[in-house]
Amino acid sequence: MSLIVDVMSGGVRGGTSIMYAALGETIGERAGVINLGIEGSMLTGALGAYIATVETGSPWVGALLGGLAGAALALLHAYLVVWRGASQMASGLTLLFLALGLTSLFGASYVGQPVTGFSQFDVPGLASIPVLGPVLFQQDALVYLSYGVVPLVWWGLFKTRLGLLIRTAGERADSLTVHGYDVRVLRAVAVTLGGFLAGIGGAHLSIAYANAWFENMVSGRGFIAVALVIFAVWNPFRVLGGAWLFGMALGLGSALQARGYQFNQFALDAIPFVLTLVVLTVLGRRTLSSSPAELKRVFENAPPT
Amino acid sequence: MTALTGEDAGRIGAPVAVPVVLRVVARWLGAIAVALLVFSALLLAKGANPVHAYSAMLELTFGRARSVQEIFIQMTPLVLGALAVAIPARAGLTNVGGEGQIIMGAVAACGASLALPQTLPGGLIVVAMLLASMVAGALWAGIAAAMRLVTGVNEAISTLLLNFVSLDVLLFLIYQPWRESPTGQPATRELVDTAKLPVLSGSKVHIGIVIAVIVTVVVHVVLTRTRWGFRISVAGGNSEAARRSGLNVNLLVLSALMLGGALAGLAGMIHFAGVEYKLRPGFGNQLGYTAFLACWLARHKPFPILVAAFVFAALSVAGDSLQLDSNVPAASIFILTALILMAVLGWTTPRKART
Repeated sequence: MSLIVDVMSGGVRGGTSIMYAALGETIGERAGVINLGIEGSMLTGALGAYIATVETGSPWVGALLGGLAGAALALLHAYLVVWRGASQMASGLTLLFLALGLTSLFGASYVGQPVTGFSQFDVPGLASIPVLGPVLFQQDALVYLSYGVVPLVWWGLFKTRLGLLIRTAGERADSLTVHGYDVRVLRAVAVTLGGFLAGIGGAHLSIAYANAWFENMVSGRGFIAVALVIFAVWNPFRVLGGAWLFGMALGLGSALQARGYQFNQFALDAIPFVLTLVVLTVLGRRTLSSSPAELKRVFENAPPT
Repeated sequence: MTALTGEDAGRIGAPVAVPVVLRVVARWLGAIAVALLVFSALLLAKGANPVHAYSAMLELTFGRARSVQEIFIQMTPLVLGALAVAIPARAGLTNVGGEGQIIMGAVAACGASLALPQTLPGGLIVVAMLLASMVAGALWAGIAAAMRLVTGVNEAISTLLLNFVSLDVLLFLIYQPWRESPTGQPATRELVDTAKLPVLSGSKVHIGIVIAVIVTVVVHVVLTRTRWGFRISVAGGNSEAARRSGLNVNLLVLSALMLGGALAGLAGMIHFAGVEYKLRPGFGNQLGYTAFLACWLARHKPFPILVAAFVFAALSVAGDSLQLDSNVPAASIFILTALILMAVLGWTTPRKART
């Protein structure tokens, strides 16, 4: 019993950074832009948040700066693909390398510095509910915040005018142009917002989850987020469920090992990716048909030869 | 948007070829200059002297025989990895899976070397590793090709996801079944000396670079001079038209992606048998992604890929000197690599190719 609770609460805590990033990626992809640099946004976010928290002592300032650092990198991606016509895949990977370089250059002096980040606290009352309490309500502030951000992103995408415009930029960009909207600006807004959320995801890693900064600390979580967005068919609520599921898979091995079971963690690490591949295969064309139309166009375009 | 226009224009307009080359060179130099300037500013911000850093980088990278040899060693898997992107690109496919195909190639090569008796002649082991790695790379890419053909899953997504699966396969193997000793570092047994790739006389450069150059020439010939090369570019340009003219587009897609995978697998084997000799957790770290970007830098053309791979390898070697000499983390060099790419991707892309 306690193993299950441990794994679930670990899944929520470990999945939160992935959830923020995947929510961000969802917004961008809804507008028709895929951003592999989300991994980079998480990196700049993690370092930005860490530096700001060390320097100001406030993890909230840290989270905000982490978000901004993530947004800055995403804005570069938006500029390159939307205005300069760069390939989305190539630009995203390039920005990942940029983030790797920048964070190792500016982060070197912060390795090993102590930080007081977000600490775990119980939500009064709710924390004592059996199972649900320890899983959902004995976490840190950024986890609690994510419970609100998920419906907020859903509401923003599906119930507001800006959300409608963003989704139209991903579905029928031409019709926006006809009505006098600038598709490029809308896409840039969506991608930058996405980078902001990914930055907060990175912040959760450095100032809540690990409470440390080290080079390349995101180590693939941004790519898991990209997989998760597809797994969740571009739906924020499914992103929430998927992030927790993936988080549990990633944490299961160490939870088992802590109890003396011999287990090779790497078989479990592959689960998020294998699951996504299976979902893609099983749903096949159905998943693809529910993806934003402009996103499909991105893939169908052959690179210049 | 068709794959042929650029090349045809170049061929038909042979007399204007020189100005085009000049313009390309000017753009590249401009891009690199801007990238160097921005990187200088960042180094300054970190308290390092950029003039000193650059001169040290130049001196340590090109001034010493060992560094120059290191560039050739490092560019070898990049060339093959970039060709693994270029061939599918001809057929209109985006292969982001070089990373995984390289790893699977190395895993297969290592598996072959572990399975065969060590007393076997080295040459036989090398041939076995070569075949195993190319088959493994091709099959790994084949998964993505099959998913595309059967259920319409986009290969850019599936190859990307497969990278992480292959990384976990690698780690799984070296942490348990293939681990040399349960207490030591997680790594496989070292390759027997006889099966290590021989070096070119009087240097530390293994023969992988020769293989890479030969493969580049072969790929160039195959893409431009054979029926298959022509057909995949027709399929990549307009698959509907290709289908109507009786081409088996599915087979072309499958073969292009699998051939790419085979070359990436070969890159993994060469990196394994020529440099690493054993599988370790960080094996081939980001080789595949770097090769993907090298291919973009070279605009998916075989001979420019040699240049792009050389540039990236030189930058990587320069990164080490940056660490030694200016006390700046070696990974900082990624900034310069990325800046050059951004300049090239954003400011030298032909208007027509934009989406």
